[in-house]
Amino acid sequence: MTDAVLAVANLSKQFGGLQALRDVSFTVAAGEILGLIGPNGAGKTTLFNTLVGIHKVSAGSIRLEGREIAGRKPHRIAALGLTKTFQNVALFMDMSVLDNVLVGALLRQDLRSARVTAAACLDRVGLGAVLHKRAGDLSFPERARVELARALATGPRVILLDEVMAALNAVEMDAIMGLIRSLRADGLTIIVVEHHMRAIMTLCDRIVVLNFGQKIAEGSPAAIARDPQVVRAYLGREYQA
Amino acid sequence: MRPSLVLAAVALTVAALLPLTLDPAGYLIRVLTVTLLFAAMSQAWNIVGGLANQMSLGHAAFFGIGAYTSTILLVNYGLSPWIGMLAGAALGAAFAALVSVPTMGLRGHYFALATLAFGEVMRVIANSWPSLTGGPAGISVPFAPDSLLMLQFKSTLPYYYLMLAALVLVTAVFVVTKAGALGYRLRAVKENPDAAEVVGVDTARVKTIAAVMSGGIMAALGTAYAQFTFFFDPETVFGLGPISIRVALIAILGGIGTAAGPIVGAFVIIPLEELANSWLSAGTAGLSQLVYGILLMLIILVQPRGLVAPVEALAARWRTRRAR
Repeated sequence: MTDAVLAVANLSKQFGGLQALRDVSFTVAAGEILGLIGPNGAGKTTLFNTLVGIHKVSAGSIRLEGREIAGRKPHRIAALGLTKTFQNVALFMDMSVLDNVLVGALLRQDLRSARVTAAACLDRVGLGAVLHKRAGDLSFPERARVELARALATGPRVILLDEVMAALNAVEMDAIMGLIRSLRADGLTIIVVEHHMRAIMTLCDRIVVLNFGQKIAEGSPAAIARDPQVVRAYLGREYQA
Repeated sequence: MRPSLVLAAVALTVAALLPLTLDPAGYLIRVLTVTLLFAAMSQAWNIVGGLANQMSLGHAAFFGIGAYTSTILLVNYGLSPWIGMLAGAALGAAFAALVSVPTMGLRGHYFALATLAFGEVMRVIANSWPSLTGGPAGISVPFAPDSLLMLQFKSTLPYYYLMLAALVLVTAVFVVTKAGALGYRLRAVKENPDAAEVVGVDTARVKTIAAVMSGGIMAALGTAYAQFTFFFDPETVFGLGPISIRVALIAILGGIGTAAGPIVGAFVIIPLEELANSWLSAGTAGLSQLVYGILLMLIILVQPRGLVAPVEALAARWRTRRAR
């Protein structure tokens, strides 16, 4: 597994008496788009928050390009190239769209070049026309795009997307999926949490399924759609691809 | 030229020329000098309270450290207050870094309470260590002839310009900080610390830097105050009401996080206090405090986002219109 950009081994997370993640292991190869699915409360967002260092790891290891990152602070992990977007959208609401993304770009650049990078990232997610709007004044789908641009501006190697397609219509969803594919083409490695099965099945190379904090399946979209355990726990019926 | 710069230039010109029309040993120039000092102090507080949104109620700790450091060095070793000011600023900055460690994770009220406690602890220490500080009896700056080196003048006029220079300097620091990378990071931390961390902002570091800057400047202003008043005691420099709450109140009333806020706030609050005291103290006891309190409440009710908020909103509209 030398080409694994991200290798998670026996990762556990406990909140008091609640075992939110139990012995989760998986790897992500360079340039891969990995889907992460599971019912509500399965631990998807907890897993993301633990990977980026918001939650402390209870046990296990997280290796980013061979380097152990478990126990490091989020800004250190971001500097090493792993960041995420927030499910409930955590923008700096009182700042302009451009300034939101600028904060991410400042990780590796001075103010002047960060401003250029931020504008380029916003162009890329299709928000080049609203740079000076207040982030809090944007629509929900627009905010999700700002999240994505801000994460991109940090210059990541691996990016975790937590439901960036929530509340999007079909056209917008196709646009975001095209964008995610183009990011992969640029060499990014991507993990997506999403509830839209069509999006997950067409976008991802592989899928990991979580249920009650444990990995219950892993494989190609086609294999996952047929997996009886996954169907029982999550899909409800066999997914018609 | 930007309108805010024009406004600043006009204000500065007026401030520079105004004393020429006043009695240099009079009451009015003293009030103005104190007003400028408190505007500068509140601007220093604004770096932590406004940019990082950390509602410190303990800034008297730094102010008192500065006042006592330079004065003790002057009394015991005859050192120039300028050197004392540097030493005090260094101590104030170090103390700010120290206080940052346990208060780092605290937000909102908890941070305010913790800083309040640190300020009070300093007051108690100053009171109970008379061999160093003079204790509750206070400490006096030894008299010297007029001298810039010893920062001592009989007239109020030089102090007026000293405080004006201090205010300009601190405001410049605030403006440059706010517009720079640190300012962006601090605002990000203020709006959403988790999101800021995840996109690479070292939240602990930027908050500590802001605290160190703010604490160091506050201590330097403590020296300026000591030289101006010649005499102070723990209550006047470490006091919760006289310093900590007052500098926070000035910034909040004027407009927190804005460069103009502390200046506008100081020019409302300090003269208001003086007026309330001088006009009403002859009458019923406590009436001046009551009137002062009611006026403050009225201002806050009418303009809860600060006195400069309507102007800020206007300027923002103007900027977006130009950006389009």
